[in-house]
Formats: sequence, C-alpha cells, structure tokens
Amino acid sequence: MDGTKHIIKKELTRIFTDKKMIVSLFILPGVLIMVMYSVMGGLISNLEEDIETHVPTVYIQNAPEDFEDVIKELDYQANITYINSQDSIDSIKDDILIGDVELLVVFDEGFKETIGSYSSLGDAIPEVRTFYNPSEDYSGVARSNFNGIVLNTYHHYLLTERFGNTEQLQVFHIDRDPEAGVIVDEGKASGKSLSMLLPFLINIMLFQGAMALGMDAITGEKERGTIASMLLSPIKRSEIVFGKMISLGMLTSLSAVIYAIAVVIGIRNLSGGAMGEIASMTFTPLQIIQLLVLLIALVYFYVSLVVLVATFARTQKEAGTYVTPLYIIVMLGGVLTMFSSGSERGLEFYAIPVYNAAISLQNLLVGELTMPQFGVAVGSLAILASLITVLITRAFNNEKVMFNA
Amino acid sequence: MIQINELTKIYKLTKKQMIEQKTKKDLKRAVDNLSLVAKPGEIYGLLGPNGAGKTTALRCIATLLKPTEGNIVVSGFDTVKESEKVRKKIGFLTNEIKLDPQFSPKYMFEFFGKLHKVDDKLIEERREKLFSYFEITDFQDKKIEELSTGMKQKASIAVSLVHDPEVIIFDEPTNGLDIVTARNVTDYLKLLKEQGKTVIISTHIMTEAEKLCDKIGIIINGSKVSEGSLEEILNRTGTRDLEDAFFELYKIHNKEEE
Ligand SMILES: Nc1ncnc2c1ncn2[C@@H]1O[C@H](COP(=O)(O)OP(=O)(O)O)[C@@H](O)[C@H]1O
Ligand SMILES: [Mg+2]
Repeated sequence: MDGTKHIIKKELTRIFTDKKMIVSLFILPGVLIMVMYSVMGGLISNLEEDIETHVPTVYIQNAPEDFEDVIKELDYQANITYINSQDSIDSIKDDILIGDVELLVVFDEGFKETIGSYSSLGDAIPEVRTFYNPSEDYSGVARSNFNGIVLNTYHHYLLTERFGNTEQLQVFHIDRDPEAGVIVDEGKASGKSLSMLLPFLINIMLFQGAMALGMDAITGEKERGTIASMLLSPIKRSEIVFGKMISLGMLTSLSAVIYAIAVVIGIRNLSGGAMGEIASMTFTPLQIIQLLVLLIALVYFYVSLVVLVATFARTQKEAGTYVTPLYIIVMLGGVLTMFSSGSERGLEFYAIPVYNAAISLQNLLVGELTMPQFGVAVGSLAILASLITVLITRAFNNEKVMFNA
Repeated sequence: MIQINELTKIYKLTKKQMIEQKTKKDLKRAVDNLSLVAKPGEIYGLLGPNGAGKTTALRCIATLLKPTEGNIVVSGFDTVKESEKVRKKIGFLTNEIKLDPQFSPKYMFEFFGKLHKVDDKLIEERREKLFSYFEITDFQDKKIEELSTGMKQKASIAVSLVHDPEVIIFDEPTNGLDIVTARNVTDYLKLLKEQGKTVIISTHIMTEAEKLCDKIGIIINGSKVSEGSLEEILNRTGTRDLEDAFFELYKIHNKEEE
C-alpha cells in the first residue's frame, strides 16, 4: 500500500500548490455560498418584517356608525376607505386579485338594525363578509389581523351591548397567556427546520465537491495522458484506485466542511435571521460520532460513484454528461426529505442509497435516529461503495477503458 | 531480453473510429503474427511508416495492452501473467504518455522513484546524473507545462530511467526534437546499450535506424517483412541504403494488403 500513500501525497500536493485550484475549488464556492445565504436569509427576514409592518389598504362597505369608533380606539393601522351600499365593489375585487388592495369587508345592509330587532330563535342574524387573496402574503395577513383584532373586539362589544355581562357566554377561556403554554425542546425545534434544509445541502455539497474534483483527477488525467504513466509503475491497479479515491475523499470532505462553514457564516450574518437557530443546535457525543460515520460513508459512496463515471468517460465533457443524472438523483433524495419526516418510515427505506443518507441526517438532526436505522444506512452505503470500488479496479485493468483500445 | 512470440493485436473499432479510418470492418489487425527477439547489449529498431503497428507492439511489451494472440516474455516474465514484475524491469517512453504538467521534473522523478521503491539516496544520485546529462538541472524546479517540447521529452526520458531498468522501450524517442537534442538522446541510448541493457525503439526515420540500431525489423501493416542488421537487409534487397530497401519491401508488401 506504499503506492497508495505516495499517490495520495501527490494528489494533495497537486491541489494545495496550485493557487488557481484552491481558489476555484474552495474559496470561490465558499464565498459564493456565503453571499448566497446572506442574501437569501436577508430577503426572507426582510420579507417577514415587511409583511408584519405593511400597512394594508382596506375597504369597508356599510360600516355601522359605532364600528369606526371601535377602530379608532383599537389604534388599528390601515388605510381604510369607507364606502356605502351603492358603491360598486367589483373594481375593488379586481384590485384585490392583482394585489393593489388587501382586504374588502362587507357588512350586511341594516347590520345594526337586524341585530337590534333580534328577539327569538330563527330570527335573522346579519353577516360580515371578508374578501381577500390568499395567494398574496399581505392580503392573508391583513385578513387575519382584521378578524383577530377588529372584528373580534367589535363582536365582543356588541355582545356586551346586548347582555351587559358576557361571562355567561364565555363559558371557558382558551390560553389567557399563550406564551406560558408553549412546551418545546429547543434542540428539537431548531433541528426541525434545519432538518428540512441541511440533509439537502449536505448531499448536494458532498456530491458537487466529489464531482468537480473527481472529473479532473480521473478523466482529466486520462485526457492529458498522465494516468498511463502511473499504470506503468510496478504497483497494483487497486493501489492506484485507492490512492485516487482516498485523496478525493479527503478533498471532498474538506470542501464540504468549508461550504458548511460558509453556510453558517452566511446565515449568522443576518441579524436575528430566520435561521439563526443553527447556533443553538446541540449534539450528544454519540450523535457526533454517528454524524461523522454517516458523512464518511456518504463521502466514500459519492466518491466511488463519481470515480466510476469518470473512469469510463473518455473526455471530461462526456463525464459531465454522465454525472448530471446522478447529480439530479442526489438532489431529489434531498428534496424528498424536505416534505416528510423520517420517524414513520420503515427500516427498508434506510437501505436505499442517497435517500437513506438524507433521511438519516434528517433524523439525526432532530435526535430521532435509531441504531438500526443508522446501521442499515451506513452498511448499505459502504457495501455499495465497496462493490463500485471493485468495478473501478476492474476498469483500471481494462485496456478498452484506459486506452480506448 | 525481449521475446515476442507470434503476437497479434486486434482492435475493436468504435463507429467513430471506423469513420476516421475509412473502413467498413469493425476489427483492425494492428499487429499481425509478429515474432522477434531483442537481446541485452543490443539496440533493436522497429522501422515502419505511420500506422504500421509499432506503438501497438511496444505497448504490448510494456504490459499496457494484452495480446489478442501470442505472448511476450520480458526478462523471463510473461507480460500478462506477471505484468507487475515486467513493469519493474522496463523503462517505457511513448509520446501519448505524459508527465503531470503541474509538477516539476524533480518532483516527478522522485514520485516515480518512490513508486518503483528506489531508496531516496539512489533517487537523488540518479537524478543528478540524468538531469545533468540531459541538461535539465536548471529547469528541474519549473513546472513541466512551462518547459519546451524538447525539455519535456528529455524530462520524460530521465523519469522513465529512474529505476535503472534493464529493458528500455522507447517509442519514437527523437520525434519532434531538434538535431542537437535528438543526438543527445541517441547517444544516451548507445550508452545504455554499452551498459548491457536491452533497448528496443521504434522509428520511421531511416537514418536513425541506420546509425543507431544493431538489428532492424521492418514492419508494414502490422507484419514484419524483413529483419537483420543493416548489411543483411541491404544484401537481401540488393539496395544501397535503408530507404531504398524499405521502398523495395513496401512495394511488395503494401500491394499484398489491398
Ligand atoms: N486504440 C486504438 N483503437 C483502434 N485502433 C487503433 C488504436 N490504436 C491504434 N489503432 C490503429 O492501429 C494501427 C496501428 O497503430 P499504431 O500502433 O499506433 O501504429 P504506429 O505506431 O506504427 O504509427 C493504426 O491503423 C491505428 O489507426
Ligand atoms: Mg506510433
């Protein structure tokens, strides 16, 4: 295995003595990712803030006289236009559709009179209708705020007017202090939202790192005619394959670490950012070991996949074409986890490569990864990667593959 | 010592190669029933036009290709069954195989020395000797991609000799070199011969074969059509120089093919 050692050393030297390589493999993507996440996170939190503070445009038809007083008293912020029953509401509805107006509130005609003349069961009860556009964030928020703040209060006010004492009607309270009722495991809660995004990111970053490096280190060397010089030395083909794969694994891991740090920095840059919770994540030592083992298995698997493709491809362009479908599968594996939670899936799902890595990471981040799940996932990844390694070694012995002969 | 016994190498052509080579057959007989022996202390020259099968034959000797038929024995080892042992004994040079452009000649020399398990002191010694002979020393720390064609070729030659191989296989070693550098290289081959090494080269340059080779094998369309010392070949064909001899043979054997 001496040959493997020398090859690893050479591969690492090649990358680390080449400024262009370092910049294009580590620094540039790192900076890009950082900027991307800063901007993305910034946009998300700006958006949230914007929706919260946005002053909605609201039209109210047939508002009862005392309703305006209630609104003034509540200090409800909105550009309110009061219209009466003769005014057409069609143009307002159109404006709601295109997002120029957030909300239209229509009181039945003779609202107060109908309420006032109620005496027994079966008598008419007036209605307030709200028109809004659920596909517009501003509109949705405006409606729920209006319902919660204004209509609720007005409802209560009218009840008091009718009965004097409304406790009779209250029967029971729900959460007078809502904050006091929140019971949550901080780690799990922050893990929950992270567990959606992180497996996806890790999958993509690892594969991308392996892809960029592997295509150059294998297909590139084939194209340049430099790999043949190694095939001429008196070492086993398997030593060359191991040397290439181990160095690629090391570099891929390094690039993943750099990318991950870039993501964290990018997200932390947001003041009170939407995903600042990364900082509050905590892991037990067992979880850390599981995470490491899982990542190593995953790196080994991705490197083997990329090297297999890179070995058979004649040119880097060809390698790029072959590897793209794999890249898409890897992305899909990550995306699938974003829409489901891992705890209900049977053990057999943990044997599906790519997907198993994503769901295991997801479970790990919320502290729900069981030992059998972990074992099946790591085992299946490692077994498959070993099989692929055998294939690669065969290919290295094949003159058709190595010399187009 | 190199013994080639009835070597035939057939390539299976891809569709693209069939179009490139303007052929309808999907099999190419690149080397056809070739036998030869190259002995220690002698330079054997494979002489033939482009596409004759020289590179293919030499790659088979160097274990990179497996014979379709026949077998090759190098220093007592079979190139298929004991390829690793054969690789220990040979120094192989061909222009399709290159040194990593991002590394310096010195780094590559040391790297391949280590792969050949030569100890560090010996690597150092041989590097100094070879680099000074080929005048690489001043450039030994430059990246290979920054070197001139001639310097690259000389670096490749030096690296291929890092383990002091007993069998030297050089495919068109002076190809693309200026006359001074070419002379430098052929002189070194003579030196190796005097040290008792087995040397086999391929060439399409008549004068090189005349001056350098103790034994010449003329190969046309994958077959050896004549073999012997320069004198023997000239006598056999009744010609005065190798070029005339070659064309005599070419007339006969290239027709047969068609
Ligand atoms: N990898 C290959 N695949 C298919 N045909 C090849 C390959 N290499 C060489 N050939 C064909 O085999 C013949 C001999 O080639 P080669 O050994 O390179 O000749 P030479 O070195 O004498 O110029 C040529 O016709 C060439 O086109
Ligand atoms: Mg050739």
